Amino acid sequence: MSFGKLLLVGFIFGVGFGFFVQRAGICFSQGLASIMAGRAKRIMTIFFIIFIITTIGFYFGGFKPVGQLRGYGFFNVLSGIIFGIGISLAGGCILGTLRQIGEGNLFYLIVFLSFIPGMALVIKFVDPFLKDAYNTKAILLGDILKIPNGAIAAILVLFSLVCLYLIGKKK
Amino acid sequence: MLKKLFSNFKLMAAGFALLNVIMYLSIKKFWIGGSSFLPMIGTFGPNNAFVFAFIVNLGVIAGALLGAVIFGEFILRLPKARDIGLAILSGTLIGIGVTLAPGTCTTVFVTGMPMLSVNAFLSAAGIFIGAFLTYAIFTKNISQ
Repeated sequence: MSFGKLLLVGFIFGVGFGFFVQRAGICFSQGLASIMAGRAKRIMTIFFIIFIITTIGFYFGGFKPVGQLRGYGFFNVLSGIIFGIGISLAGGCILGTLRQIGEGNLFYLIVFLSFIPGMALVIKFVDPFLKDAYNTKAILLGDILKIPNGAIAAILVLFSLVCLYLIGKKK
Repeated sequence: MLKKLFSNFKLMAAGFALLNVIMYLSIKKFWIGGSSFLPMIGTFGPNNAFVFAFIVNLGVIAGALLGAVIFGEFILRLPKARDIGLAILSGTLIGIGVTLAPGTCTTVFVTGMPMLSVNAFLSAAGIFIGAFLTYAIFTKNISQ
């Protein structure tokens, strides 16, 4: 498939993602806020549904690492913390931001455009400075636990199903 | 009836997940958030991978617009002047977070954890800590 066709296919998939995200009202930032406020039912239901279906699907397609382990995980946790603060202040995660732009909320367009200085700061100033400390690795859970990834996936999916059942029972 | 069907968040979340799987099985790509925005600063990724992801996310905006218009939920809202600083600050922090370690942010919950990527579980822990800190410092102060 040519790159142009791939982009067209990607855009069409994106439209589908956006439609489902809008209809489901998916936003992990608002979800985290709900969890902090003790109302986790909806976001946990969404998370487990996505996790179960996607994990089973990815199993058939073959697992491969998404992203990298950096600095033995230190930079992953650090970036998670900074990102977590950012999305909590904005009131929208990445999916939430894109969804809200589509719904006409231009506050999130400013949030979206403000990714640029943040990304540029890391790429231009932090990356060259910390390059040697990154020690990047792309690994799966099975690689460090020495257990087949299929078995780990099965355990996590079963656990998620139980959680989903218990959440469903909770009023 | 159609509106009721398309307002069932469980069904719609399942639709999102299924589409992610279909995309992976058909073209070996999956939805990513953070790194997809790097083309905005001139970083295109190996084999233009980030360009592809960026186009997918432009599609997400179009799809959300489509859903909102069809079901009468599109409302043009301009930001209040006093909120612009917050938007810039939070957006910049998100930009730093998504770039400091690839495969973090929302990608964690949608593709990283289902792919059993070790970094995704660590990032998820970080995101919870960040959200908790913000909630503890800001939200509680506001509500007091």
